[in-house]
Amino acid sequence: MRLPRSLAVVFALFLGVLPLSVLAHKESDAYLSLHSDSADHHRLNGQWDIALRDLDFAIGIDANHDGAITWGEVQARRAAIEQYALGRLTIKGDGLTCTMQPTGQKIDAHTDGAYDVIFFDAICDKNIPSKLTIVYNLMYDLDPYHRGIVTIHADGKVAGAVLGPEHPVATLDMRDPDRWGEFKSFLVDGIWHIWTGLDHILFLLSLLLPAVLIRRRNGPLQPGLRGTAALADGSGTLMALVPSGPRYRWEPVESFWPAFLEVIKIVSAFSLSHSITLSLAVLGIVHVPSRLVESGIALSVMVAAMNNVYPLVHKRLWLVAFSFGFIHGLGFASALSGLDLPAGAMAASLGGFSCGVEIGQEAIVLALLPLIFLARRTVFYQRTVLRWGSLLIVFVAGGWFVQRAFNVLIPGFSKLLPS
Amino acid sequence: MNPIREGSLDEARQGIRRVVLRLFLCLLPLPVTVSAQTDRAIPYIPRDASVVLQHVPPATDPRVRAFDLLRADFDRHPRDSIKAVALAKAYVNYGRSTGDARFLGRAMAVIDPFMKQPAPPIPVLLMHATIQQSRHFFEASRQELAHILKLDPDSGQAWLTLATVAMVQGDVDLANKACVQLANNAGNFMGMVCSASLRSLTGHGKQAYVMLSMVEDPGPKAPPAIKAWIEGLMADIAVRLGEPAVAETHFKKALQETPDDNFLLADYGDFLLGQKRPQAVVDLIGNNTSSDTSFLRLVLAESMLGSPRAAADAEEMSQRFLAMDRRGSHVYRREQAGFVLQIGHEPQRALALATQNWTVQRAPKDVLVYLQAALAAHDPAAARPVLDFLARTHLDDVRIQPLVVQLNAATADVGTRATAPASESVR
Repeated sequence: MRLPRSLAVVFALFLGVLPLSVLAHKESDAYLSLHSDSADHHRLNGQWDIALRDLDFAIGIDANHDGAITWGEVQARRAAIEQYALGRLTIKGDGLTCTMQPTGQKIDAHTDGAYDVIFFDAICDKNIPSKLTIVYNLMYDLDPYHRGIVTIHADGKVAGAVLGPEHPVATLDMRDPDRWGEFKSFLVDGIWHIWTGLDHILFLLSLLLPAVLIRRRNGPLQPGLRGTAALADGSGTLMALVPSGPRYRWEPVESFWPAFLEVIKIVSAFSLSHSITLSLAVLGIVHVPSRLVESGIALSVMVAAMNNVYPLVHKRLWLVAFSFGFIHGLGFASALSGLDLPAGAMAASLGGFSCGVEIGQEAIVLALLPLIFLARRTVFYQRTVLRWGSLLIVFVAGGWFVQRAFNVLIPGFSKLLPS
Repeated sequence: MNPIREGSLDEARQGIRRVVLRLFLCLLPLPVTVSAQTDRAIPYIPRDASVVLQHVPPATDPRVRAFDLLRADFDRHPRDSIKAVALAKAYVNYGRSTGDARFLGRAMAVIDPFMKQPAPPIPVLLMHATIQQSRHFFEASRQELAHILKLDPDSGQAWLTLATVAMVQGDVDLANKACVQLANNAGNFMGMVCSASLRSLTGHGKQAYVMLSMVEDPGPKAPPAIKAWIEGLMADIAVRLGEPAVAETHFKKALQETPDDNFLLADYGDFLLGQKRPQAVVDLIGNNTSSDTSFLRLVLAESMLGSPRAAADAEEMSQRFLAMDRRGSHVYRREQAGFVLQIGHEPQRALALATQNWTVQRAPKDVLVYLQAALAAHDPAAARPVLDFLARTHLDDVRIQPLVVQLNAATADVGTRATAPASESVR
């Protein structure tokens, strides 16, 4: 048969649609498995197997382009691989995004070749996820037939989904909502929030220090004490504010229980008011700009400490605690910002956090009160601790106030700032 | 960045539900195997940095250099659909010759932005339909080709692809129409190859063989792939005509042209297995075990030989099938049916797979595995759609005829036996 000259053109045209081919390998897959961590309910241990061929195509692994990917080449690209892959995966626990943290790298042999194994932890520190949402975007722009085969192992149960560019999202039930677990977990958070929140501690301390003393008006019959107080005042920075010598003196309380009762009143009042604003802020009913809240807290610490040096309020210290508690509550709320949970989980988390804050501050009070009760008669306590300690608090809180209110950085103060 | 569009949230939810449901149904009968799969591969740290883990196309491969040039060209002109199609075509051709399915996805990603346009250019549509066909999405491909041919009735390439799809689907009328149109638009050579292929499937094998022998040598300018294609077609026809020696000659000629062609290796391997020559299959496949289709033929041959490796390799093969199931890929249902039947000795499952496969493709090998499974499962009634298909198309194949005779005998047998107890069982 005679063939036309333009046959070569025809051949070229049809090369793309030649006979039926068979595919030697399955298309691109990656295997993502998440295991709940039995020791830490906020943590998921992840393992993600991604084909080296896919990674090479996406970001280049075969550094010397010799067609053979070595373990050395894979190791050299570890950071890039982790950045590429983990940046294309979002894990959410009950709608809150969990933080991804790579923890290791290995190799796995699958049926169609070697895979890089990324070990990572997904840390869902805001809650104990009951529903897990996975948003899977690996290879979405490079291969529409890529599939992420996801398996979740949680408390002995297994769930799975197949995700890909057309179906990037799956929501899987991990476990029944664990309200008690969430409550406990937030309880611990609340305790640590108080213990690491120096501004809250200093506020409490300022109210606590004078609780073992009674302030009495200075009469003419006690020159010795008056002299002491005058010396103290005279050496203080507040000398100008004191018009005619000290009119008050501190006397130790006689017995422990009245002092204890006083402290309980202060702490309870503080708790009540900060719980109110904490709830309102977390539930989104009240919103106060963080700058205002933070500088308000600093101001409250200053005022409370100043009151020990230059007393304005003594009888009803709980009122001071109560009124400033509102602003501290708004501050606590920032620790829970972005918490957008279903109602039940929200109640458990918020309740747990409030109780945690309560326990945290009670612990401080209970540890401190016996000590200051025993020390209350000493000059060291009355003069050094109460007066100079309070002045130091005023100084520190003043620095915070300036920094927070006027947004200026004072060297050294940032280290004292509670995170 | 985020591919979920707000507007299609419900759609996405439904999609997820579907995926989860499908996965659930998929996992239902396989709880043990799933855990086996997850435990099987244990991550390890290689001995040292010089250990080679994976081979990828090296930069010295001219095809890879061609990719790089086309990719660079396309990156400079990201809105140029012609350049996109050129790159996609290079990926598809590479994927087809090596059998690496990943390249089909990569090609699809290149043309994807153009497919989202309100009226994508015809070459883009054609590439899309070609990729669909390569991934065995025949029905989708066919509909897209019909659309393309409405826009451009003279597209020889579209007619050829449509003819190929129609033949796989067993749609003789459509295939015939496509071959005629192909001859009109792309010349006698293509028209003749197309018609010969079709006639070989409709009881005119000898005529088809003669037609192809007329174009067997298309001249020195023809690319090896074209020559291998024609030799492969002739080999297949000879197999169906019961001329193994002739088939052998054509397979060898085809392999001379394209020695590593994945399709050809599998096809020749099937022929050798059919000839009960398992050792020849082992020699043919050698170390080329990374290809699933080659490996399957090796496993079947090892089983036939009673090789000590047979059990372990069969397990490996079922893992590969499982991995495909897990991703929801059903490209190899025919192969899986044969594997389940001959290695797993599970005729019911094989029949179920063959039945599902029949809804997608109806080539002679699909007929063969379906009838074998129906016979092994003692379910001649299940073979009815295939027997009807054979009566309709007059497909002639020496491997199939004895099975048809057996099935007809079994049907008659069941029929006579059924008359007596029927009155009892129907109540």
